[in-house]
Amino acid sequence: MPSYKQLFRAAQEKIPTVAASIESLRKPIQERGELVILYFNFDRYTKVEEIYGWEKLDEILETTTAAMRDFFRNGPFASSQVMVSFVNDDDFVLFHIPAPDVPVPTDEEITDLTVRLHQFIATRVEEAYGESIAALFDTYVGRAHLYYDPKIRLERQIYRGIRDAAASSVSVEQRELARKSADLRETLRTGALWIEYHPIVITDTQEIFGYEALARGKMRSMRRPEVMFEVAAQSDMIWELSRLCRNTAILGMKDRLEKGQLLFINVDPHDFTDPAFTEMDLDVPDPSRVVLEITERTAIKDYPKFRGRLKDFRDRGYRFAVDDAGSGYAGLGSIANLEPDFIKLDISLINCIDANFIKQNLVETMVRFANDQNAKVIAEGVERAEEYETVKQLGVHLVQGFYLHPPAPDPVAPPVETLSVTGK
Amino acid sequence: MPDPKLPSILVVDDNHDNADIIRDYLEARGYPISVAYDGDEAMKIFEREKPSIILLDVMMPGRDGWQVCREMKDHPTLGSTIRVVMVTALQDWMNKRQALETGADDFVEKPFELAALAKVVERNAARLAPTS
Repeated sequence: MPSYKQLFRAAQEKIPTVAASIESLRKPIQERGELVILYFNFDRYTKVEEIYGWEKLDEILETTTAAMRDFFRNGPFASSQVMVSFVNDDDFVLFHIPAPDVPVPTDEEITDLTVRLHQFIATRVEEAYGESIAALFDTYVGRAHLYYDPKIRLERQIYRGIRDAAASSVSVEQRELARKSADLRETLRTGALWIEYHPIVITDTQEIFGYEALARGKMRSMRRPEVMFEVAAQSDMIWELSRLCRNTAILGMKDRLEKGQLLFINVDPHDFTDPAFTEMDLDVPDPSRVVLEITERTAIKDYPKFRGRLKDFRDRGYRFAVDDAGSGYAGLGSIANLEPDFIKLDISLINCIDANFIKQNLVETMVRFANDQNAKVIAEGVERAEEYETVKQLGVHLVQGFYLHPPAPDPVAPPVETLSVTGK
Repeated sequence: MPDPKLPSILVVDDNHDNADIIRDYLEARGYPISVAYDGDEAMKIFEREKPSIILLDVMMPGRDGWQVCREMKDHPTLGSTIRVVMVTALQDWMNKRQALETGADDFVEKPFELAALAKVVERNAARLAPTS
């Protein structure tokens, strides 16, 4: 059991929980007679956890907490406030009791506050973790205005208020989704997309082996592919978006990739149900230079049929990579089932691998497994020299990450010697 | 005599014989050692003695090793500096993944040679911050 004190303080965020805050709120609420509850919903923080692992989200939550404290230290909300969070989750609640003679904030003030708060936190997150993480999340703020009723137990009033504020943050989120759906439709109509090519290098020689194509929307709200694809999934436009991303990436490959270099394209298992996605429809002169990346995260429903589709592509010369390998509990068996040419390790296994011997053991196991399968292992998300040296020692064949190259609209200068392709 | 330069170790195992063998062996190599025989006792000693490395058996009645590891790693003041080594008979991918989820830094597969255990302790000692 956690200690008595820990129960009332969120372990990571080091700020009080709702239960711990109510006592200190009682008197000021009774005196003022009203209370404003703001509910902060940081959308897609769960995505951070999915992609980078819980340690990263814990760090980001700490940064967020510190940023929120700094943000609210000055300005109209500084007078009286208690900030709380829900233990083990990523939403925050702020109780605001205005000082005497200060009016409660209006809806316009809250909207203005949301924009500024988001900017403030995004800047802090970007400073600490880079632009790619900062561009991932959105901030939605819901609001509830409570008038104290002495007949009703204060705890219940507060919990109802939190529920109302949470619901109002969801409706803000839904309005935002409608706006983003419109942005996505516009993106699809005008092809407002560009591709960043992220180099994948040979670990030992650091020569460029290929590039992963990363689609970015030109519109501000569509910058992050995760956001774009989430909006597409919610608006039933996945196939259309996937087609546009694939075609744009392949088009760029023609005059941008050196001879022999491979192009890695992300493909969702759902794409294989798209009638327009076949081994014959892709306009690729040399399919053996295209690697289709399939994430381990998506559940594949009809395995035999799926494998049949993979075979059609394989027969034409396309190659396959299992993306995010080792992220879940699926184990090595399900990876073997896909008979991949490449295995891309999940970023969470690479992050701080130099300090964690369990990660090292897992990666070593994967390299052995890949060697048995005649596949190559790619370590993604290598950001530090120590991580690079560790994966190199463990025998990882290929490396991708900011430590060597950031993604770039145009591939970096070609290597002195053009590589021969030795995929499988 | 414990060597003051070596990091202190907490050994947690519900099997008294195992715990005592590990204690005697590591003590002979100069490490300051404390021993706990279940999760509750482990948390008490952890807060009192503030060990640098914890050797944690996974299969224990009551609070198991996973839970104890999570609580130690979540500890507001001590959690960020410690190294937790899981001692486990479970060798497959899923269990190692689970060890990662709980925040563990290393593992030793049972049954193990004491010399192998010493190596694991040494490599984790080398990873501790210089001040500890």
